[in-house]
Amino acid sequence: MIEINGVSKWFKDVVALSDVTFQMGPGVTALLGPNGAGKSSLLRIVCGLTAPSRGDVRVLGKRPRHDLSLFSDIGLVPQQEALFERLTSFELVRAAAILQRVPSPEDATVQAINEVDLDPSDKRPLRSFSKGMRQRVKVAQALVHSPKILILDEPLNGLDPRQRLHMIELFRRWGSEGRTVVVSSHVLEEVEKIGSRVVVLGRGRLVAEGDFHEIRRLMDQRPHRIRLLSGAPAKLGAGLIAEGLVVGARVRSDEEIEVETEDVMLLRSQIAKVARKNNIRLKEMSPLDEDLESVFRYLVKS
Amino acid sequence: MGEIYNALLRTALSKGRLAGIAVVSALAMLLGLAVGLDDNAFQDVRLAGYSLITGIGLSLLAPITALVFGSAVLGDPAEEGTLVYLWMRPIPRWHIATAAMGVVLTVTIPLAVIPIGISAMLTGGGRALSLGSILASFLAVSAYGALFIGFGLLVRRALVWGLIYVLLWEGIVASVGAGPARLSVRLYTQSLLAEIANVPRPEASVDVWPAVITLVGIALAGMGLALWRLRTQDIV
Repeated sequence: MIEINGVSKWFKDVVALSDVTFQMGPGVTALLGPNGAGKSSLLRIVCGLTAPSRGDVRVLGKRPRHDLSLFSDIGLVPQQEALFERLTSFELVRAAAILQRVPSPEDATVQAINEVDLDPSDKRPLRSFSKGMRQRVKVAQALVHSPKILILDEPLNGLDPRQRLHMIELFRRWGSEGRTVVVSSHVLEEVEKIGSRVVVLGRGRLVAEGDFHEIRRLMDQRPHRIRLLSGAPAKLGAGLIAEGLVVGARVRSDEEIEVETEDVMLLRSQIAKVARKNNIRLKEMSPLDEDLESVFRYLVKS
Repeated sequence: MGEIYNALLRTALSKGRLAGIAVVSALAMLLGLAVGLDDNAFQDVRLAGYSLITGIGLSLLAPITALVFGSAVLGDPAEEGTLVYLWMRPIPRWHIATAAMGVVLTVTIPLAVIPIGISAMLTGGGRALSLGSILASFLAVSAYGALFIGFGLLVRRALVWGLIYVLLWEGIVASVGAGPARLSVRLYTQSLLAEIANVPRPEASVDVWPAVITLVGIALAGMGLALWRLRTQDIV
């Protein structure tokens, strides 16, 4: 349904995407990557909002920047927050329905606004809406014409946990109805809930694609750096190396040691035993590189 | 097209813009009234009216009103990121450009064309001056409006560049000689008004029909520029 072939995009000296190739079909695909990874650039190319510097994109067999009829089949939730501030949510979504030539625009508008858990009779202008409400209006205008393809760029930003859950349920339902739903996110935990198929972008390159659990396993198996505080850091490091629980250790101070392990779970389960065996009082254990940036750095390197 | 027009119109209309332009409109009408009330002070009231209309109406009110709304009508949505909600629809791009032109005319006719016509009438310069002022100012806002719609999509800070064009180029450079004057919209609107009102024509002026054709041509070129930008530019 969406074919991306050797797509590169650069802005003067800055390379946003570099030779990216993959396909997306019916169901939910999560596009994962840290900020600046090239997710928005890729989605904008798929929607025809910008042309690739090199390569080719086909959506439903058509070239998005050249075939206006394609927009009947695509709904986009852009990343930017701006809306037509003086319109009401009903007016904005109805405008989308009319421009998409939906047979009963009023009915479709009410249905779309209800679907995102907003009130179609709300007369307030959009400028008075909270960030979460604006996000939901953006989703409503994208789905009002029941498109075959829904592209959502960071659609969960600004939503509270209950709204996030509701939105994720919607994405899954649309996916199960046979639509192609592409959701970008930089939050790993979000992606875990959104879809089983994941495409990971890092520094403009395709880093990984496939089943989420497979990619998660790859992420979890990377070397982890852990900071340990104890009364005898050198002795603790030696004990952990002897037990094969860590692959490297560096004493940082009288009580701090940094260790590197390939199996965090095993280290967690065994460290107390090693400390007891060596008569060492373990004070604290904290991960040093659990943030997403480190995970992506690792994936990009590998 | 009505939905695009509605969204663009309500975005372009702001209290600040309306108030600023309304002050200049009121000033133009007040000056017209002042000339009309004190007609003994002028040897030729029609010429005095013509000078007022070209000096305030065609040189300031019409271009500035068209600039303020023309540069904003698509330029603001393009910069803010709301144009995408109109652009990603299966509609011909000329619908968007035409709706934008409709917005500019909707605003500039009551804020510039009608006040200029009233101002001309109040001077007591005669029917030809009034009708000529309405026609010249209508063609002026059409030409400037279309030009600045396209300009709003072409450059950032189109309002500033537009002001430079209107105030520096048309106001100063174009008065230096016939060459630069021919590259200014004002020459054609002034020529048109001078011909219709039957007053001495400005330097380098052109006849009625060439003036009308040139102004319509500028409007079409502006629309063409907007259409080309809508088809080719990156949408935020």
